[in-house]
Amino acid sequence: MPQNELLLRRAEELVREMEQVLAQLRAELTSQGSAVAPKSEPMPHPDDEASVHDAQSRSRYSARDVAWRVVLVVVLFCAIEAAAFHTRFYANQLRPDTTAGSMLMTLTLEQNRKLAGPNQVLAVGDSRMGIRTRVTDRLAPETGYTLANIATPGAYPRCWYYMLREVDPDRNRYAAVVVPVPELEDDDWGDYSSSEVDLHYLVPLLRVSDAYDFSRSFPTWKLRWRALRAVFLKGLSYNVDFQDLLSNYESRAKALQWNREELGRTRYNYHGPTKSVAGLQVDWAAHKITQYPPDSTDSERHELASQLLRPTAIYTGGRAIYRRLWFGRIINYYRGSRTHVIFLRMPRGPVVRPYPFSTKSSVLREFAAHGQAILLDEHTFDELERPELFMDHMHLNEAGCERFSELLARAVGSALGLPRRAGS
Amino acid sequence: MLFNTLRFFIFFAVVLLLFYLGPRSWRKTVLLIASYYFYMSWNAKFVLLLLTLTCIDYFAALWITSSAGRVRRLALITSLAANLSFLGFFKYYNFLAGSLVQLMGLPEHSFMLSIVLPVGISFHTFQSMSYVVDVYRGEQEAIRNPLDYALFIAFFPQLVAGPIVRAREFFVDLFHWRHPTGDEVLRGILLTLMGLTKKAVLADQFAGVADRYFNNIAANPGSLTAWSGVVAFALQIYFDFSGYTDMAIGIALLLGFHFPVNFRRPYLAQNITDFWHRWHISLSRWLRDYLYISLGGNRGGRLRTYRNLMLTMLLGGLWHGASWNFVIWGGYHGALLSIERILGVGKQDPGSHIRWTRVVLTFGLVCIGWVFFRAATLHDSFQVLDAMFSTTLGTNLILPWQLWMAAVTLLLAVAEEKQGWFEGLVKAPAMVYATAIVLLLFCLELLGLTGKTVPFVYFQF
Repeated sequence: MPQNELLLRRAEELVREMEQVLAQLRAELTSQGSAVAPKSEPMPHPDDEASVHDAQSRSRYSARDVAWRVVLVVVLFCAIEAAAFHTRFYANQLRPDTTAGSMLMTLTLEQNRKLAGPNQVLAVGDSRMGIRTRVTDRLAPETGYTLANIATPGAYPRCWYYMLREVDPDRNRYAAVVVPVPELEDDDWGDYSSSEVDLHYLVPLLRVSDAYDFSRSFPTWKLRWRALRAVFLKGLSYNVDFQDLLSNYESRAKALQWNREELGRTRYNYHGPTKSVAGLQVDWAAHKITQYPPDSTDSERHELASQLLRPTAIYTGGRAIYRRLWFGRIINYYRGSRTHVIFLRMPRGPVVRPYPFSTKSSVLREFAAHGQAILLDEHTFDELERPELFMDHMHLNEAGCERFSELLARAVGSALGLPRRAGS
Repeated sequence: MLFNTLRFFIFFAVVLLLFYLGPRSWRKTVLLIASYYFYMSWNAKFVLLLLTLTCIDYFAALWITSSAGRVRRLALITSLAANLSFLGFFKYYNFLAGSLVQLMGLPEHSFMLSIVLPVGISFHTFQSMSYVVDVYRGEQEAIRNPLDYALFIAFFPQLVAGPIVRAREFFVDLFHWRHPTGDEVLRGILLTLMGLTKKAVLADQFAGVADRYFNNIAANPGSLTAWSGVVAFALQIYFDFSGYTDMAIGIALLLGFHFPVNFRRPYLAQNITDFWHRWHISLSRWLRDYLYISLGGNRGGRLRTYRNLMLTMLLGGLWHGASWNFVIWGGYHGALLSIERILGVGKQDPGSHIRWTRVVLTFGLVCIGWVFFRAATLHDSFQVLDAMFSTTLGTNLILPWQLWMAAVTLLLAVAEEKQGWFEGLVKAPAMVYATAIVLLLFCLELLGLTGKTVPFVYFQF
């Protein structure tokens, strides 16, 4: 009978299905529930058809889906990192009293400064570059040039190159840039190439294209790695600043506001300390300070002794390499532009130590000899090398700074010759 | 080599490459060599200790399988005695010697030895002992291949701080290894990054607050100050340990191994019993299966149950570290568990209002326990407790943005408890998954501590 046949067939199908389910259950039980080592123990290979097929059947996502998500993560991360930290978006919020924040504020003020004409001269340097622009401005009608100063305490030539690139991206803003050095000869006091502070200063100014050159300029792999991090993962370098922003949002906003509105004026009218190291005397032959400034404290005396009587360094030529690299970059940057590069020897100190190195080399003299840069007469500031004009072993006091500014403005004016007229 | 260092991630990348790109027959060997290298990068000498324990338990299990009656029992006792002797010597010798010396009034440093505690010894000895006991109980077949057994003990994702994996769980994965699915890879990546974020961002931030308080308790008076310091430590230890565990689970998952869950939002527990079902689950499970039940569990009447609970928790406390502080911490939790049993806490489901009150109360009780866990001495512990309940207020040591961060994690925990967003995230569209990962990366970049690597708290155990 057809109805019975149908029922029989249905029953047979049901039995077959149940057998399949039982077999499947048995297989699952043996594969999942057993911690007994099978006879052949090596792990299956992903290329094994069974294991790959099995894995794919259990997963929503294929290997391509996973790869696509990973690519998306990389793209999204890079996009946000670039938008937030490789622009001025976050950098403009940096705490203004940090290394990077203060440098960026200095550069921003200079970038925003309206130029009176084409005869602008810009000075870079460190804390020793005590130019008083209110003094040089007074002399502008006489010299024909106006000086601006972006010198930043603790910044070295590597920083100066990136600072100049940032503040003068078109290489036509200045008639000259003035670059100070403590000695025209390539002495070997200290190793600037391993200066970690540069990493702190330069984070906002570095571009991805700087990665190779910038990181290579550091002597150790550890510093090179940190330099690469500073170039690519700027957020990581801003990490401490970001956490400070979360903690002190209001006070920082106020400080930034004040710096943007008042810092330029405050710096213009700034009067530095009037104290001096008058009375200081050193017997270089005996390698001894014979007389300290009468009103100096113990810590000031200790500082004077440790700096002035520091042992002579062994000449390695490292400084010459460093100078050739970074001063060379500054010169190359302005090559073919209207901007001259002027090097000057700073007043060396309240008392001048006899030059300690028997090997004399001077990258700067080479540059000047090849017409790539202008060297101001090295004795221009000799008259300032007196204890009365210094506040410590290396920094000019207010009177020293004012006289230095006068001398510098005149020397730069005469080195550059007749100024250009506006529009010419 | 810490999980939260660049060195570890380079190591892991190399292991992944060798594991997946090398010949299939190398795989176990790659994992074993990598695991020993990982252990030796901390202190190469102690690999001998690890090898010795591995050999003892490997042969003990075979001995148990091949013998019967008293000999079988002798094999078990030999193995347990060896494990406990090593653990006892390295971890508890100075503690016992110091206590004895104090009791007998001898000079302070009599009998003291300069012992370096091998990293992870508490974890791998417990794992090893559980295997031998399982073989003895007939719940696990003895492993014949010594490399398989060595890998079980030394497998680097869980070698130094757990989770304490049962032999059965591990060998199922090892013998029936299959390539991780796409879901598992995505889950593994997410877990690893979440764990790293928990550690490098949350735990390390709160560690700074807790250290500031506990390193100079006398200089930080006031109840608010004390509570903020203790709560900071509660958050530190949770994010530190659960972060490590998340990383361990994620890393293992990327290698095709499945570890058990070790934390389930413990600070949302409604009572202490519930807390121990959510905190360091693999240890709780170990203590239950191999200690509490072996002591008789709840089979011998109420008083015996309370005694067993107390003993289990006291030993659990002592497992964490060799000091009276840990014993008191364990005893405190044992007492709370017993009290909850007496009062029948947790048997009825209260309304949501009361539920939250219970959560807060439980968190407060757990925090009080953490005082003993974190303070350097008993004297310090009581000083902190005194400050926590003093009438002077003091100042809050946790910064407002850190509190916001804690609030966000609380919301996420509540959402996971109710909705289970984590699995949803793994299965979410690519853009949502990628956004979550990028968010974690930016948290690490901006909110982590740079310049110093803070070790995981549980590495000292």
